[in-house]
Amino acid sequence: MAGKDYNHLFKLLIIGDSNVGKSSLLLRFADNSFSGSYITTIGVDFKIRTVDINGERVKLQIWDTAGQERFRTITSTYYRNTHGVIIVYDVTNPESFVNVKRWLNEISQNCDSVCKILVGNKNDDPARKRVDSQDAAHFGESVGVRVFETSAKENINVEEMFMAFTHMVLRAKKQSQNRAEREREREKDTVNIGAQRDRDRRKRGKKCC
Amino acid sequence: MKNPKRASSPEHSDGDSRRKKKMNDITQALSVSPVDVAALRRMAISEGGLLTDEIRCQVWPWLLNVPLHILDQEPENVDRENNKDYNQVLLDVQRSLRRFPPGMPDEQREGLQEELIDIILRVLKRNPQLHYYQGYHDIVVTFLLVVKERLATALVEKLSTHHLRDFMDPTMDNTKHILNYLMPIIERVNPEVHDFMQQAEVGTVFALSWLITWFGHVLSDFRHVVRLYDFFLACHPLMPIYFAAVIVLYRQDEVLDCECDMAMVHHLLSQIPQDLPYETLISRAGDLFVQFPPSELAREAASHEHMASSTFKDFDLASTQQRPDSVLRRRRRQKQAALENSASNSVVARPSATRRFVRLAVMGLTVALGAAALAVVNTALEWAPKLDLFP
Repeated sequence: MAGKDYNHLFKLLIIGDSNVGKSSLLLRFADNSFSGSYITTIGVDFKIRTVDINGERVKLQIWDTAGQERFRTITSTYYRNTHGVIIVYDVTNPESFVNVKRWLNEISQNCDSVCKILVGNKNDDPARKRVDSQDAAHFGESVGVRVFETSAKENINVEEMFMAFTHMVLRAKKQSQNRAEREREREKDTVNIGAQRDRDRRKRGKKCC
Repeated sequence: MKNPKRASSPEHSDGDSRRKKKMNDITQALSVSPVDVAALRRMAISEGGLLTDEIRCQVWPWLLNVPLHILDQEPENVDRENNKDYNQVLLDVQRSLRRFPPGMPDEQREGLQEELIDIILRVLKRNPQLHYYQGYHDIVVTFLLVVKERLATALVEKLSTHHLRDFMDPTMDNTKHILNYLMPIIERVNPEVHDFMQQAEVGTVFALSWLITWFGHVLSDFRHVVRLYDFFLACHPLMPIYFAAVIVLYRQDEVLDCECDMAMVHHLLSQIPQDLPYETLISRAGDLFVQFPPSELAREAASHEHMASSTFKDFDLASTQQRPDSVLRRRRRQKQAALENSASNSVVARPSATRRFVRLAVMGLTVALGAAALAVVNTALEWAPKLDLFP
């Protein structure tokens, strides 16, 4: 597209239980702001931020979703064409961590293969922390997902998390592009051979199937 | 809040006198016996709606057929800890600060938030078939701020078993179904906008919060919210979806100028302009309702659906939405009976004689009203007896 102001466009999705701080994380990353009095997210919407990764402009379209379970039937549509999913839990709320499994399940039901990252938010008060970093790390390892702990409120690790995830998504894109490239090469060879065979056959006046 | 400068201008004094006349008309409708509910509905729909919160306190109960003696009942206590919805309700109410008037002292606001929680839990406890959804609190807070706790509880309970009933199912299938009415309405008025939106595959989720909160979640000026509530309370429960269509159509140029892309169109439409010409849009929504009543759109709305809800399939296609619980229960019982006695096949059709009578009565009463508004009132009335809104 002409006049495009980016090299890559990625669609990311933020999911997780109600009140874990999905909207706060997004607002911190996209607008660098925080307010203690957010309103409940009803439905879905997104924010945009463009970042620079090794000299390439990466435009992130980050979708925020409602957390209440009954909205999943609505939000599931938005997994389509998503490059990466950010699963958020609240480190002060163990239940939201337990539910991460269900969110992972939600992803596997709606996406074939997609980058994932697990984020423990509200990590700014050790006295209130109820999900152990070690436990989260072990769990992340067991399901092959990287874990970050953040605080949207205190602006801790939010930028790092989003940037690391963008790297991951970009790497995944390049890998799949390379794979596709190799496959195309192989296919071209196959097609060439096939076409040659076709011509041979036609010469002999025989038709294929 | 009157501006003395503007009050002296002829235009404004004209508005003033109209306002005064309307107030008189409302007082009149309230004072006759029986109360002239049809007139009250017209007042709630026509320009300016019910004007003040004091009037709303008196008229809203009539629009929902809630007897005022309900106020004599002591509200029951709420057992918060053993309530399955308490956590979610608490989270949402805590995050509803923006819904309270900006200047309100914290202490007062906190007290109201407690009442808000109690109202919601009380209604849910009394009606175990209802399920809490995020956004329900946006509706309840509107009632709480206008009519105070006791009356709010009664009105919200009636509303929840009638207008909001479909949103309170265990799943959102019926909510999705109602959203499916949006595109057929848009198509009839402006096929170009419709096609553009279809091509962008924008869907209808941008209107979800509008619908299930009656716009309470998205409009920052409380006066606009209550004006819309006047309108919706006086009308058929699908009116909010007509209003949503009218907003999209009002923004048709912006929509068509937008990049034809799901995200872009969704984003544009999600951001609702705060300076909408509400009165114009309300009368337009009324017009559309009359021109393209839900029964005409029902089949199309259903065909938009991949997965029709069971309630929807079970009953006749037209106007199955937002049935009051009493009707749903009655139908469930009938279905049960039909199953048990396979010979039985009488389900839907209800006598329409009463309806015709009400319609005629309204015709006789509404000379001054525009044809469209009249028809809206008629349909509201036609719909109301079905929903047991009248004794």
